[in-house]
Amino acid sequence: MSGKREAFPLPVRAPDTSNGSSQPMSMAVRGGDFLFVSGLTAVDLQSGARMQGTTASETRQILTNLKQLLDAAGSSLDKVVKVNVLLHSMLEEPNMNEVYARFFPDQPPARTVCGARLPDGVKVIIECTALA
Amino acid sequence: MREVIAAPLAGLDLRQHYGHHQSPAVRAGGLIFCSGMLPVDPLTGERRHGTLTSEAHVVLGNLKLLLESAGSSLDRLVQVHALIYDSIEYDVLNRVYRQYMANGPPARTVWTAQIEAGFKIQLDVVAAA
Amino acid sequence: MTEKFQRSAIQPENPLLNASRKSNLPHVPGIRVGDYIFLSGMVPIDPQTGERSHGPIAEQVRVTLSNMRHMLESAGSSLELVLRVHVVLADISHMAEMDRVYREFFPVDPPARTAWSMQLRFGNGCEIECVALAG
Repeated sequence: MSGKREAFPLPVRAPDTSNGSSQPMSMAVRGGDFLFVSGLTAVDLQSGARMQGTTASETRQILTNLKQLLDAAGSSLDKVVKVNVLLHSMLEEPNMNEVYARFFPDQPPARTVCGARLPDGVKVIIECTALA
Repeated sequence: MREVIAAPLAGLDLRQHYGHHQSPAVRAGGLIFCSGMLPVDPLTGERRHGTLTSEAHVVLGNLKLLLESAGSSLDRLVQVHALIYDSIEYDVLNRVYRQYMANGPPARTVWTAQIEAGFKIQLDVVAAA
Repeated sequence: MTEKFQRSAIQPENPLLNASRKSNLPHVPGIRVGDYIFLSGMVPIDPQTGERSHGPIAEQVRVTLSNMRHMLESAGSSLELVLRVHVVLADISHMAEMDRVYREFFPVDPPARTAWSMQLRFGNGCEIECVALAG
């Protein structure tokens, strides 16, 4: 097997679950050629505090964080190949899209958007796969 | 290397028609990641609302066009997320889907989700390049 | 130049966990391609009987992830090689309970994960899929 696996942990002060421990996931995991990034919600990366807001503001926070995470993991926004966006309501798609477009100016990744029931009242979750 | 796959027919360019900020597909690492495919006319981009059956045929036909233009095919699908608007249509989905997977279907998960524009189906797929 | 990968289907050693074949459904339990294994979504099935295993969500998650372990090991992979997991719950309020069981299966350097809620068929409380490195 040629793919090595490397996990990039959640920030130290990640959002707590109801039992006080952080969620059992890594921020991202590298395997083979790709970096698999967990579904991100709008949080302050330093404090772990939730940044509840509009779909647009949450999208902006998530993608700002994503840029930072990818850079720290040796990847970058322009290496993202696929994004999945979960919205609490598909009515919010244009609001998400307008912010999103600013983060991927050229040759944007493939993307799928759908509406679902999201945890903790979050308005949007974004996950992606990038070249490592 | 990361390579954007352009829409083989104008109707499949959802960015142009609907402002969706996405490429139709991206090739990298020997795989092709496709944007969620919707029931739009591949020539004109017009929405082709219908039954789950009719919409599924449009979506699978579009994927065939897109993947073949990129040197792949439906036979090289590895993973599908089949988004349907209501799980009651599961059997209907299978009846259509099966017709396109004659040479061995890929892994699949069916998600019941809210899809844009009131479409009944969207397919999110990864294929081998 | 990049080789063209061939894909191959994965089958569980326990045939009762082969939902695809049992129900003649148009999917395979998993596909191996290049360095990766993509699994189809898995639901709570009793590995002894092949029947749906409903009950408290904690038990459903445990059964599903145990079955996932079996599926990966049948293919020469393992839970330690999982890269990404999607957890879909029928009821979003089950997140904390799901987490509690989930962390038992991924105690160290857990995979990337996205978890959310959608309508699930047949009264299933959860459906879980993953991408893993091939062994």
